[in-house]
Amino acid sequence: MKIIACYSNKGGVGKTATSVNLAYALAARGKRVLLCDLDPQGASGFYFRVKPSKKLTEADFFEDVEKFTKAIRGSDYDNLDILPANMTFRDFDVFLSRMRNSRSRLKKALKAVKGDYDVIVLDCPPNISTLSENVFRAADAVLVPVIPTTLSQRTFEQLLDFFHDHDLPVKKLHGFFSMVQGVKTLHGETMEALRSAHPKRFLTAQVPFASDIERMGVHRAPVMATAPGSAASHAYQALCDEFMARVEE
Amino acid sequence: MSDTEATRYHLPTGAAGLLTDGDMGGLRPVVTLAEAVPFTVLDCFDQSLREAGLLLFAARDRLDLLLPDGRDLSQTGAAGFVGDLPEGPVRDVLAGIVSPLRHLLPVGSGELREGTLALLDDEGKTQARALLHLFAGTGGADVLLATPRGLRGYDAALIRLRERLIACGGAAVEGDALYRALFPDFPLYTNKPALRIAPDETAFQTARAIIASLIPVLRANEPGIIADLDTEFLHDYRVALRKIRSVLSLFRGVFDPDQTMRLKTRVSALMTPTGRLRDLDVYLLEREQIEDLLPEGLSGGLDAMFDLFAAERATAQARLAKHLQSGRYAREIEALRKIFSGGKALRRGAHADIPSHDLACKLIWKRYRKICRMASDIGPDTADTEIHQLRIHCKKLRYLMEFFGPAFPADAFAPLLKSLKKLQDSLGLFNDYSVQQASLRAFVSDLGDHQPHGIAIAQSVGALIAVLHRRQIEERDRIIGSFETFSSPQVRRAFHDLFHREDAPS
Repeated sequence: MKIIACYSNKGGVGKTATSVNLAYALAARGKRVLLCDLDPQGASGFYFRVKPSKKLTEADFFEDVEKFTKAIRGSDYDNLDILPANMTFRDFDVFLSRMRNSRSRLKKALKAVKGDYDVIVLDCPPNISTLSENVFRAADAVLVPVIPTTLSQRTFEQLLDFFHDHDLPVKKLHGFFSMVQGVKTLHGETMEALRSAHPKRFLTAQVPFASDIERMGVHRAPVMATAPGSAASHAYQALCDEFMARVEE
Repeated sequence: MSDTEATRYHLPTGAAGLLTDGDMGGLRPVVTLAEAVPFTVLDCFDQSLREAGLLLFAARDRLDLLLPDGRDLSQTGAAGFVGDLPEGPVRDVLAGIVSPLRHLLPVGSGELREGTLALLDDEGKTQARALLHLFAGTGGADVLLATPRGLRGYDAALIRLRERLIACGGAAVEGDALYRALFPDFPLYTNKPALRIAPDETAFQTARAIIASLIPVLRANEPGIIADLDTEFLHDYRVALRKIRSVLSLFRGVFDPDQTMRLKTRVSALMTPTGRLRDLDVYLLEREQIEDLLPEGLSGGLDAMFDLFAAERATAQARLAKHLQSGRYAREIEALRKIFSGGKALRRGAHADIPSHDLACKLIWKRYRKICRMASDIGPDTADTEIHQLRIHCKKLRYLMEFFGPAFPADAFAPLLKSLKKLQDSLGLFNDYSVQQASLRAFVSDLGDHQPHGIAIAQSVGALIAVLHRRQIEERDRIIGSFETFSSPQVRRAFHDLFHREDAPS
């Protein structure tokens, strides 16, 4: 089982759209996927029309295996389940370590309910906190969308610093350029600068700025499901392929 | 399985329109159906898939398999041998059910619309769905199949969905119901027709009924032999013929002796033209196994030998096909059918009126004791011919037990049959090795000098005969072991209790 965190320390960079489409693409290739909506603003659950569960705010949530498994909802798509948002994250590290530990009650409960998951995608909140640190430690890989602007360049470098400062393996970080606008010279220049500064940290695949992606909020479904032939869908597919090849290496 | 837990529901024609009739406790039912595509249901000739409750169909250049547990599997592929299918989930399941020797054949076809019934909540989220298959068979029969697919965390919606399916007339799909609903006129086939033997039935009635049930098996296999679909058609045809011949010889005195003699000659005459093709089928089917027996340096002549076999097989197949399509054959088989169809043509013998059960006990007990007597003398020095004799006796015992099986309690009968089968497996292998050596010798001596690969073939075949001979000796040891079990006090006691009658007719 792989744990993949989709993270950005800056909001509005297309992080949730990435989580949603990555989870969808993995499920479509036959992986059993659990998408955990940990970002109270991100609403990846919203894109799958899953109603947030009120019961999930209780503090003992992660202690209580049954509550946890009961909160999981099947999406409209095969192999893809959602754990909706609106929870407190105090014990998230406990949750993650239990997902890892094959003997844990949580893992057993998951197995009993509907088999194990191959991939857990975490749609993380956009800040650096104790939660983020736990996520970084538990995850096999952290996928970071970066808009090619000067500001985003700074936030990406802050994230690298954070990894160095906390003895986290930098090679877990996989940046990619998001909301790319080909006509903007600045975008091109920033991408070039970032790629040459961090040659190993950036994926080749990039996701364009596209109205199809913005319209996900109207359709409330992954763009890969509603517009599979669109440029945006192809971009997410390429991103998923390249990223997973790196993760499974 | 109760309807509330069914893995699949069979709905009446026209139910598709009712499925979306009205809200269901805040959930909105929505049906989507794709355009119709042609489909063809496939099965092998012995209908293993129907018997296992599976439905395999080809559509959209794919093979779809509906399993009784509700799973739907799909992969690329088309009709043919399972072993020739590309790797995939359908092939994996079929390999466990369909004989590798059997060709998948079309059962019937029609048009299929696939779709879903979804229950949506106020956010437009699907909370439960059923996969729909709307089959329209060309036989005129329509079948609507709904397979519930619950979504995790929405158990209540799944219960609603099942309620709706049941309310629309849906009932759990059981066994081969779907198959029969789709193609009601499709003839059901089995190479082992089940007979019932009434307690007061006479030997004459039973013997006649067994043969009468085997003649349709012959007829059913003719088209497959003629079209050369797979080798099992001829195999089943020959087994049925052999059983008919066995009834004639084992039920001694039940039919008129002169007529019995003439009938045996006529049945043997039907068997004769099938022999060479079957031998060649066996060689060619065992090609891989035989090639594995020889080290590479010596196997060079085998390819040439198998090429000769394949060429001869084509001729033998064409000859048999012609024979089976001839007017003479048609008249003969029809004449035999009439004799056993219950009219006066079949004449009674002295033992015609013995109760079947009594005759069965007598024949089985006698044959079993004979086998035990012979087996007690078996040792390392026993001649091959004696082992062959034993094999024949065991085969006769097996037929007797199969013919009369319905007259005995199954729980006592089955373990005896099983221990006999095990013994027969060893004897069969022993015999195969022996026959193969003999026929390979004959093959080499018939080769003649003009055969271009003659020397290479002779070398390979010589090595092969040596290997077969060694295997035959090994198998002999196994036979001695199996006989010890078969004539053990426990098995002897079981045969005695079931078949020995103090008051049996002599």
